[in-house]
Amino acid sequence: MKRMLFAAAIAIFTVSSAHGFETARYIAEQTGIDHAYEGGWEFFVGGGVATFDCDGDGREDLYLAGGDKPAGLYRNVSTVGGALKFVKLADGALSLKNVTGAYPLDIDGDGQLDLAVLRVGENKLFRGLGGCRFEATNTAWNFDGGVDWTTAFTARWDKGEDWPTLFFGNYVDRAAPGSPFGTCATNQLWRPQTGGGFGHAQALQPSYCTLSALFSDWNRNGVADLRLTNDRQYYRGGQDQLWQVAATGEPSLYGRKDGWRKLSIWGMGIASHDVTGDGYPDYVLASMGDNKLRTLSKGPTRPVYGDEAGKRGMTSHRPYVGGDILPSTGWHPEFKDVNNDGFVDLFISKGNVEAMKDFAAKDPNSLLMGQADGSFTQVGETAGIVTYAKARGASLADFNLDGLPDLVVVNRNAPVEVWRNVGLGTAARPVAMGNWLQLKLLQDGGNRNAVGAWIEVRIGNRTLTREVTVGGGHASGHHGWLHFGVGTAERARVRVRWPDGEWGPWVRVYTNQFARVVRGAAQAQPWLPPGQQTGLLTDLPPG
Amino acid sequence: MKHRLPCTLVVASTLCLALGFESRAEVDGPFGMENAMPKHLSQQDIERLSINDLVAHGRALFLAKFTAAEGAGRPGATGAIVPTAAEPTGASMFMRTAGADSNACRGCHNDPITGGAGEFVANAFVSEGFSDADFDTVDPQFSNERGTPALNGSGLVELLAREMTRDLRAIRRVAAAKARKTGGTVRVALRAKGVSFGHLSLHGDGFMDVFELEGVDQDLLIRPFSQKGVFTSLRQFSVNALNAHHGIEAVERFGAQHTDTPDFDQDGVNDEMSAGDVTALVAFQALLPAPVSVMPDKANHAAVEQGRKLFEGVGCATCHVPELALDSSVFSEPGPYNPAGNLRLNDVAAPLSFDIDVSFLARDDQGRVLVPVFSDFKRHVIADAERPHFANELLAQRFVNRDEFLTPRLWGVGSTAPYGHRGDLTTLSEAISHHGGEATASRRAFEALDNMDRRRIIGFLQTLRIPVTEVGL
Repeated sequence: MKRMLFAAAIAIFTVSSAHGFETARYIAEQTGIDHAYEGGWEFFVGGGVATFDCDGDGREDLYLAGGDKPAGLYRNVSTVGGALKFVKLADGALSLKNVTGAYPLDIDGDGQLDLAVLRVGENKLFRGLGGCRFEATNTAWNFDGGVDWTTAFTARWDKGEDWPTLFFGNYVDRAAPGSPFGTCATNQLWRPQTGGGFGHAQALQPSYCTLSALFSDWNRNGVADLRLTNDRQYYRGGQDQLWQVAATGEPSLYGRKDGWRKLSIWGMGIASHDVTGDGYPDYVLASMGDNKLRTLSKGPTRPVYGDEAGKRGMTSHRPYVGGDILPSTGWHPEFKDVNNDGFVDLFISKGNVEAMKDFAAKDPNSLLMGQADGSFTQVGETAGIVTYAKARGASLADFNLDGLPDLVVVNRNAPVEVWRNVGLGTAARPVAMGNWLQLKLLQDGGNRNAVGAWIEVRIGNRTLTREVTVGGGHASGHHGWLHFGVGTAERARVRVRWPDGEWGPWVRVYTNQFARVVRGAAQAQPWLPPGQQTGLLTDLPPG
Repeated sequence: MKHRLPCTLVVASTLCLALGFESRAEVDGPFGMENAMPKHLSQQDIERLSINDLVAHGRALFLAKFTAAEGAGRPGATGAIVPTAAEPTGASMFMRTAGADSNACRGCHNDPITGGAGEFVANAFVSEGFSDADFDTVDPQFSNERGTPALNGSGLVELLAREMTRDLRAIRRVAAAKARKTGGTVRVALRAKGVSFGHLSLHGDGFMDVFELEGVDQDLLIRPFSQKGVFTSLRQFSVNALNAHHGIEAVERFGAQHTDTPDFDQDGVNDEMSAGDVTALVAFQALLPAPVSVMPDKANHAAVEQGRKLFEGVGCATCHVPELALDSSVFSEPGPYNPAGNLRLNDVAAPLSFDIDVSFLARDDQGRVLVPVFSDFKRHVIADAERPHFANELLAQRFVNRDEFLTPRLWGVGSTAPYGHRGDLTTLSEAISHHGGEATASRRAFEALDNMDRRRIIGFLQTLRIPVTEVGL
């Protein structure tokens, strides 16, 4: 036996962190994006990013709010497994000023993602035409974008409907007497009309300066209710809200008689995930000071929520580096398993509103790593994502299709940051962490992408559960691959409860793959990223 | 008073001598320790050691009767391949069904040499292992019981599988590019080393239909190990087996990176098996000598050749492909296709690499090594209502149905009785007679032969032997 090469095998990963688990490392990349969120008081909030595939190549592209500057659409041209690169598309319909945020969804069910664009002034719906081209459709879809200062959006499809119900959450009514305090603008619900498009808006009163909204089936009864987190800075006598929204008729608020407990925070963003493992979604609410984890306390019959943020180490209420001891200001929360260990992690963007003296000026974004025991640990510094820009919207998405969720952060008056997740390695040599699976859903009808579905991924004796939603975050929507970190599992069983409540069969999927679950199909359809597989993907010849 | 101390010493010394006590001698090295593993290897050790030393360490691990002092047993973990906490049962460290079920690798893999096969008494019970035990009985109808396969030649086996995976994925990659370019659907035949794995249809949007695949998983990864063909590499097999059979948990699967604790099985021992140890164990197994053809007395040479031709003539060679051509005999570790939970290429600066001796094997006209493995590395349905024996178990294993098995490699079959995945068939004739499903026609052709021709085939198979050559000594 002849030894050919013996430079062998210096393990890079063998030294575990003090926490036991390993943290994903993020590298700031020069990606070709030159963009900031700017403007006066109306743009102290907002600053969102829509993350979605607008050209059908499987890579998720970016639409960035610009405040009083034009919003920007950037096509993702990253090499699979390589550096992150984006190309700004020529000014088109989307190059609007006064944009606070945007959410992608397929409103008309034509297979092309559309955009709901939130603005200070008229909100806009854009129909996707493919190839990252869009056309304004407010008139065609009978949608009146109004003149309000809009900061929140969510959508759901009611049973039997081909078009969604849209919710637009508004902030301060600047024209009201006494503005800004106690003068929240009215939130609006848009129901679909028979034959497509929308009718007139349904007012949701009271409105309490909503900064994030999410249709979510909190008790898994098959109907998503409307959760709103509101900004106590400007409302008077208000609180966070949960609206029961039946398919027809007037929505009604859950109140004390229903078990709903008053929560008054500087609510900035919502993220949902079943953190407790009871089968029902829990909700992180980003805020100034303590961030919240609202957990269902007394079963699905009543919306009684307690808080487990403190117990689980998720309050993330103060900067962890930089020396500033004042409370943090959280904006965009998002759950994602960034190290693919099978335990979901939580990102929260942070940054002072503008110059609030009682809150931290140097307020880095948080990355809280979920652990096997259900607790979370702050690792922002180890992960390498510390900056002191005033962050707003954000998105965790696998821009280079290597299985590791990357990160884009929109900053106020500072450049957008794009962070590439290199696992345990470096930009030149990324090192994978756990196994992963990324899924899409497809069904017939208008709700093609199955918003409102629940996905179960079974690995070993654990089941990872995910609700497919549109909304939440801080003015930032994502529509694309649904990412699951699965640890050391090489195989997973996947099943879907489709939006109408029908369970699909368990389908067998191998991990470290992209795949689509098609309703009625016994097997998933794997998807192959374009181009030569490099980096962390395993489509490599030996040697 | 002032004379009291010397007086005491004198008395004590006298007493000690009288009782036979002496001053305590220093204990050197592992003397008196109850560890079976001689030491742990770091990755730096892998770089420093010669391949012979590495294989010797691997052999020592293969022979080690692991002890509780070094982590044998897994009171807090099941035998599942995904780290899975066990319900506390207070059960014994050892249990024949759910494991841990053996002390040493060699406890089962010992026939005819270390690393070889095992007889029926060395059977193991397999299940997904996510619960304590998926079954409480050892009735063959309700438990998945496995005979011990020989590991000889497994380095070449893994290399063949890697190259087949490479070739299948290259076909997929080219077809995907074509589909994307044309925007249409491209249906391609999947062939690797002359073996057909069905068809794959790739669409212009990058999605693919996998329902025409044959005998290979959706990810086109040839998994050549285990009788179901569900393990990718010697490394993955070893890490699985160490936990399942011995309760020895490798850091790369059960360590803090994936479980948040260095003692996942809660036996009081941290980091029980290092990545360097597993690399050594792999090197030892990869270099176990490959089976060879051992001719009988000269009077039967012609019968062997006739048996070989009959073997091919009745169709056995359709699946038990006599030779597969290998491009390169250089074995690199870790391999390129390991999933997380096993050391991977990206985890190391450069893989360990060594050449496997193939000097005794023929080459084809392209210079490729002809590995006489007698398998197509493909899964087949091998049982049916007429011949149900090979489906005589309850549970599908890792997505593979009860009646499907990887084509067993027949090299060495003359040394590895008993036969069948459960090791419950004492003769090759019995094993052949239980072939159903896709092998029905071949079985019937075999049964239609006269007795002497059947003996010629059996005699030919009996020449396929494991050389009695120990390695790592």
